[in-house]
Amino acid sequence: MESVSFLRVIKTGALNFWRNSWLSAAATMVMTITLVIFGLLFLLFGITNYSINTIKNTVDISVYFKVGLDEQQIFKIRDAVQADPRVKEVVYISQQQAFDEFKQRHQNDPLIVQSLNELTENPLSATLNVKTYHLEDYPAVAQSLQDPQYKDFISKVNFEDNRAVIDRLSRILKFIVTFGVGLIAVFCLIAALVVFNTIRLTIYNRKEEVEIMRLVGATNWYIRGPFLTESFLYALGATVLSALLFTPIFNQVLPKIAVYVNPQLTLFHQNLFNYWYLMGILLGLSLLLAAVSTLWAIRKYLKV
Amino acid sequence: MIKFQNVLKKYDDVTALQGVNLQVRHGEFISLVGMSGAGKSTLLKLIIGEEHPDDGQVLIDDIDIATVSKTDLPYLRRKIGMVFQDIKLLPKRTAFENVAFAMEVCGHKKEKINGDVPKILDLVGLLHKRNHFPSQMSGGEKQRVAIARALAHRPVLLLADEPTGNLDEVNSDEVLELLLKINSLGTTVILATHASSLVNRIKRRVITIESGKIVREQAQGNYQL
Ligand SMILES: Nc1ncnc2c1ncn2[C@@H]1O[C@H](COP(=O)(O)OP(=O)(O)OP(=O)(O)O)[C@@H](O)[C@H]1O
Ligand SMILES: [Mg+2]
Repeated sequence: MESVSFLRVIKTGALNFWRNSWLSAAATMVMTITLVIFGLLFLLFGITNYSINTIKNTVDISVYFKVGLDEQQIFKIRDAVQADPRVKEVVYISQQQAFDEFKQRHQNDPLIVQSLNELTENPLSATLNVKTYHLEDYPAVAQSLQDPQYKDFISKVNFEDNRAVIDRLSRILKFIVTFGVGLIAVFCLIAALVVFNTIRLTIYNRKEEVEIMRLVGATNWYIRGPFLTESFLYALGATVLSALLFTPIFNQVLPKIAVYVNPQLTLFHQNLFNYWYLMGILLGLSLLLAAVSTLWAIRKYLKV
Repeated sequence: MIKFQNVLKKYDDVTALQGVNLQVRHGEFISLVGMSGAGKSTLLKLIIGEEHPDDGQVLIDDIDIATVSKTDLPYLRRKIGMVFQDIKLLPKRTAFENVAFAMEVCGHKKEKINGDVPKILDLVGLLHKRNHFPSQMSGGEKQRVAIARALAHRPVLLLADEPTGNLDEVNSDEVLELLLKINSLGTTVILATHASSLVNRIKRRVITIESGKIVREQAQGNYQL
């Protein structure tokens, strides 16, 4: 394809965009709304999903051993737990480690530091932190550790059950997905119809021109190109507008939500919600919408 | 150059052409005459592939147009210039822009367009009206702009469908002179018309169609209706 023709196609498309600027603005707006809704649902999905995973990670079984046990005995129990096929990982924290961590955590509290220094014996017990592969296995695994054969060694089995919260979040997630897919489908359809009609009108307005072009030897793409260009301009416009809208959301809102969900990970949104990644998706979506509806209009109303 | 072999063309149940055999050689000037509705425009439309025969073949340089793909058809059309019966000038473009339009479509560079269009407008005697819109021109002037546009991409074949349609005798003569001049520069010309006086005067090959059939061929036309 000659570059002169390519530039002419772009130019004609841009000209058509300006000629019916009101309709172009309307098409761009509808597309923008679609993109924004898509983006918001995308973020909502991401946040919920992330919350679930964060909470899932906090679920574990803590096994506290009695003080003064032989470490070999603890290892034996650890290996037994590890051998359970439902168990994903077992982390052993020795008495000394527990003590050091405790000291570390409270190093700014002079009262605690002082009382720790006065101790002659380590009062903390050694622990095992057990994680299973599946959430539903926790109660059974916790139960098995309360077996009488361990009662001489284990002082306490602690199991923090967050499954109810996770369940509720999972249901919310499911709702977001079903509701979101439906909502997006409806808005995509509306946007496609608006673009379709706008392009149809442009085709109608340029009927004469197109006919002459055809008869004096215009190639197919030279005739169709401007219509595609016009709708791609709607898509680009909509993506830029959405990008502007999402900038404050990414800069102000998301970090706050991130800290709320997981206070230890203040910058998670930078990995989980890459701004450019989302903008890329929005651009792709809008170009796809524009292309599909334009090709549909061309097929229907532009005889070549 | 052009060969019709037993061509049949129907529009639904109207038979526009039937049993048409015809051969046109390079450099010829052919007049295609016949009454309104005889099938002249249809014959020309078959040559540029705007319509397709229902039977028989239309060959251009031994290539059957029916076998030319959609992507190649534009390139075939660029070798042919056509003056349409209904002129088809774009009302919102000036004479210059109308001619330039055809060249743009064919992918010519701007410099070439700016250089060539004035020359072509000069050839048809309308350089002084280059910035006029079709609504500001007479019928004959519009016809000449249409001819200029048909010539813009330097076709080897010019099809002129009733280019003197609504013109008085003086204007008709001017257009005819122009077509003869173009032909003398090497372009093959097919002129479709029902104006007998015109055709008789030029003493060139005349093909007469009646109700879709070629009824007469004369080397040096003396055509009666
Ligand atoms: N698109 C069409 N659909 C249906 N019938 C058509 C169509 N075009 C032409 N016809 C018919 O085909 C026949 C030949 O038409 P054509 O236009 O070729 O005649 P013509 O010789 O050019 O006439 P004129 O001198 O009036 O231009 C006519 O009977 C016409 O009614
Ligand atoms: Mg006709």
